[in-house]
Amino acid sequence: MSNFKPTGLIILIAGSFFFASCEKVINVDLNNAAKKYVIEGIVSDKAGQSKVLLSTTKNFDENNSFVGVSGASVTVTDNLGNVTTFMETATGIYSAPALVAISGKTYSLNVVANGNTFTAVSTMPQKMIIDTVFASDELLFGSATKLVNYAYQDPIGKGNGLRFVEYINGLQVKTIFLRDDDYTDGNYVQSKLWYMADDNDDKFKIKQGDKVDVDIFCISPDVYKYWFSLEQSATGASQSASPANPVSNIKGGGGALGYFSAQTYQTKSFIVP
Amino acid sequence: MTKTYLFLLLLFITVSSVAQKFTISGSITSKTKGETVIGASVRAGKATAISNEYGFYSITLEKGQYKLEVGAVSFQVNTQQIVLDKDIVLNISLVDESKELDAVTVKSSSTRRSLGSTQMGVEKLTTKEIKNIPVLLGERDILKTVQLLPGIKSAGDGNSGFYVRGGAADQNLILLDEAPVYNASHLLGFFSTFNSDAIKDITMYKAGMPAQYGGRLSSVLDIKMNDGNIKDYNVSGGIGLISAKLNVEGPLQNEKSSFLITGRRTYVDMFLKLSKDSTVNSNKLYFYDLNAKANYILGKKDRLYLSGYFGHDQLGVGETFGLGWGNGTATARWNHIFSNKFFSNTSLIFSNYNYKITIRSGANDFDIFSQIRDWNLKEELQWYLNDKHSVRFGINSIYHTIRPGEVTASSSSSINSSYLQKRYSWENAAFVSDTWKTSDKINVTYGARLTAFSILGNGDFYTIDANGKVIDTTTYKNGDFVKTYFNVEPRAAVSYQYSNTASFKASYVRNIQNLHLLSNSTSSSPTDKWVASTNIIKPEISDQVSIGWYKDLHDRAYELTIEAYYKTMQNQVDYRDGADLFNNSNAIESQLLFGKGRAYGIEWLLKKRAGKFTGWLSYTLSKTERKIDGINNNQWYNAKQDRTHDIAIVGSYQLNKKWVISANWIYYTGSAVTFPAGKYQVGGQTVYYYTERNGYRMPAYHRLDLGATLQLKERKHWSHELTFSLYNAYGRENAYTIEFRDNKDDPSKTEAYQVALFKFIPSISYNFKF
Repeated sequence: MSNFKPTGLIILIAGSFFFASCEKVINVDLNNAAKKYVIEGIVSDKAGQSKVLLSTTKNFDENNSFVGVSGASVTVTDNLGNVTTFMETATGIYSAPALVAISGKTYSLNVVANGNTFTAVSTMPQKMIIDTVFASDELLFGSATKLVNYAYQDPIGKGNGLRFVEYINGLQVKTIFLRDDDYTDGNYVQSKLWYMADDNDDKFKIKQGDKVDVDIFCISPDVYKYWFSLEQSATGASQSASPANPVSNIKGGGGALGYFSAQTYQTKSFIVP
Repeated sequence: MTKTYLFLLLLFITVSSVAQKFTISGSITSKTKGETVIGASVRAGKATAISNEYGFYSITLEKGQYKLEVGAVSFQVNTQQIVLDKDIVLNISLVDESKELDAVTVKSSSTRRSLGSTQMGVEKLTTKEIKNIPVLLGERDILKTVQLLPGIKSAGDGNSGFYVRGGAADQNLILLDEAPVYNASHLLGFFSTFNSDAIKDITMYKAGMPAQYGGRLSSVLDIKMNDGNIKDYNVSGGIGLISAKLNVEGPLQNEKSSFLITGRRTYVDMFLKLSKDSTVNSNKLYFYDLNAKANYILGKKDRLYLSGYFGHDQLGVGETFGLGWGNGTATARWNHIFSNKFFSNTSLIFSNYNYKITIRSGANDFDIFSQIRDWNLKEELQWYLNDKHSVRFGINSIYHTIRPGEVTASSSSSINSSYLQKRYSWENAAFVSDTWKTSDKINVTYGARLTAFSILGNGDFYTIDANGKVIDTTTYKNGDFVKTYFNVEPRAAVSYQYSNTASFKASYVRNIQNLHLLSNSTSSSPTDKWVASTNIIKPEISDQVSIGWYKDLHDRAYELTIEAYYKTMQNQVDYRDGADLFNNSNAIESQLLFGKGRAYGIEWLLKKRAGKFTGWLSYTLSKTERKIDGINNNQWYNAKQDRTHDIAIVGSYQLNKKWVISANWIYYTGSAVTFPAGKYQVGGQTVYYYTERNGYRMPAYHRLDLGATLQLKERKHWSHELTFSLYNAYGRENAYTIEFRDNKDDPSKTEAYQVALFKFIPSISYNFKF
């Protein structure tokens, strides 16, 4: 269920109807905190997709580059006791190219970095097939915007979640797209990947001739909760009353940021006609 | 237990009166319109009485001759000699101050506040007083004006929401002719639902709430509508930048009954329609409201009032998205004077708030509906027992029905229709208080309010573990009592008037709140959820002690008020990290956390009421904190409404017969906010790392507003004026939000940016009356 965000709407209303609202970049003096480990762990049903990214938090004024943590021991064990060791392929990036995860199986992640042990458990959900993906016009506040449509059959029983990643000409749209079946359980679901492109950022406006790719991941309820809480409270936008760290399924080691997800993968791409 | 208490109280009171005394009683009205006057002071000798909310007064004195002096804000003082050798009924009409040109220079000796009254933490405003204060977009707004008083903080730039002494926005009991208003704002908070043309009197209680009020923790805002001119027909109206309004009132039967109808509607959407672009002209954005009242004098002892309010907002983006919301209230009241010492009012009150979201986007074709509805019966008796005691007691019974969320989808929709359980509750209260004049100097008010809040079936109620998981469900049938919370709310206040011009006061009050507003956004939203207490959500409790010093200065031209308070709050509600308040589950408690709060502060107010120059200077120094298990490592943290300093300077000056100029300046410390302590990459994008709740401050807020009112040429039955305002005159860019993002041109960097809303907003409006 998409979320209703009043703050955005308020600024929009004030802006469009009262001829007010202005934006400027400011300096905020932020305190630096002790570094914290960040783990993004994925096991996938597609070979080559299973990997674990290990890094730490950075200060706000540092650059955004990924600084991996080297020399960790990373393993994933399935519920039958099969252990897969992830090898470090680049600094902080640990891969298991041959691992193919299976729906219904439970996977346990174990990461040991500089004496800290982190663990997490994730059960691979059933795969839902997205059968159509296309772009269509949407009228929003006075301008026609193209948005990506998708459709799929949701199986009966709640708890089926999806995450989408949209790319326009290879550039990732920086919006967390999620779908759960709280209100659509068991239905044929048709919906859109909603986002508002910044007025002066043409890169993120879908135009005729653009190549659009959509990666689709079926995720378990706890991983859905992670993305949902991340989207609500940690993306830097202040629509939420109280920014906070997302709800993570990673335990131990004095706490880490991030998640561990056993997830299915499919991808769709098309050229906008 | 209550009965015994009441009996003892009455026994004690009766014994203490012996000497030969008589009573003067009656009602106080305005001469021009016949409107009852609330809060007029009636002085005879050393005794003072204040007219009640229906204009009734009763004063008991020893046999003799007296000079009776009656005054009220914006009325001339009425003085007469009376000989008191029997009980007399004396109805008094007061002459409007503005009718007399010199009136502005008259020292309003009798309109001064009552230093001897035990009531503290109270702010009273009449619509006449707020008339000249400069406003945003020309809309006079009582909720924004009260924010200029100490201890009352604005919820944001241009916002009508407010926080009182560390309380949250939902902890204010907002009453319109006794009916609770659940969402007091239009346009997502920019305007209040109260059309000031229809309002007679506003009383805000920040502390020492009288026992007849209850149900919210931090304040009571009691708003009374005009009754309608009983003598003559009046039409008044105004056209402003964003709205137009019209007010019609007059007698139904001369001197016997009257009516009032006031309407207001915005017309921004009319401009949208002018656009040729169909994507613009299909957008909707408007609100309207309608106030109506009728009152009947049924005889010398009975009076009936019927009043109603209906307001609605509509917001729409093309055909795709619609959001409509509004309040409706209706009140029927019957005043009966049993005797010159015994006044009764019976009210039957209806109150409703609902919203409806409409989504029509392909296969997403559905509506979401939510509602809170009350039926409310109140009986209140005022007994002016003798010259030492006056007693108020009564009962109140409210039946609440909450429909938390109902999704209705078309058959072709991807969405399933689903209905969250309706929640039923029954809130009962009995109250009694006695104001006791122990001596010329010391007055005491003491009393209590007993509340019983019953949660009724049918429905499922839950047991939840520490992680918010439902571990057990109990199903109740129709009419089952799930749980009843009993509470006693003691109320006590004392005043010590040690000189003619100065007094000390102290008070203690406990308040209980059983309806809680869940909001997951920084600002008020029409879709914020009201929930009643359940087996898990406990009644919120606050205890407040306050002390104050009141001094009239410079021959009573100035009033100085200093109050200090300390308040604790229990069973405060907050959200778990990642809470989804829109989820399709009946167990809303699974998203919540509970904890406590504390607030303390000192408030200064220096007011000049009479003369060509009027206005006030207000300063609040305060602290507000919360401690919630599961937030901020269970440590105390600043609540978002915590602002250390809060200053308002408000002034208006009568230049000549035509022009009044005015200005106000506001300064406050930025609200407490949560900013990131770091950042990291997840899912291919930058996200932020947080270590402490509300550890930062928004930049300080300040702004100057200017206003001017020009009285245009008056004719016999026609007066009109032009009002000019300039909001944020020096164009300060006050941060409404501060957000964080990757730099657009260099995505390897992150930046903070602020959005400011209102900067130099001029407006002009035209008002007329005939």
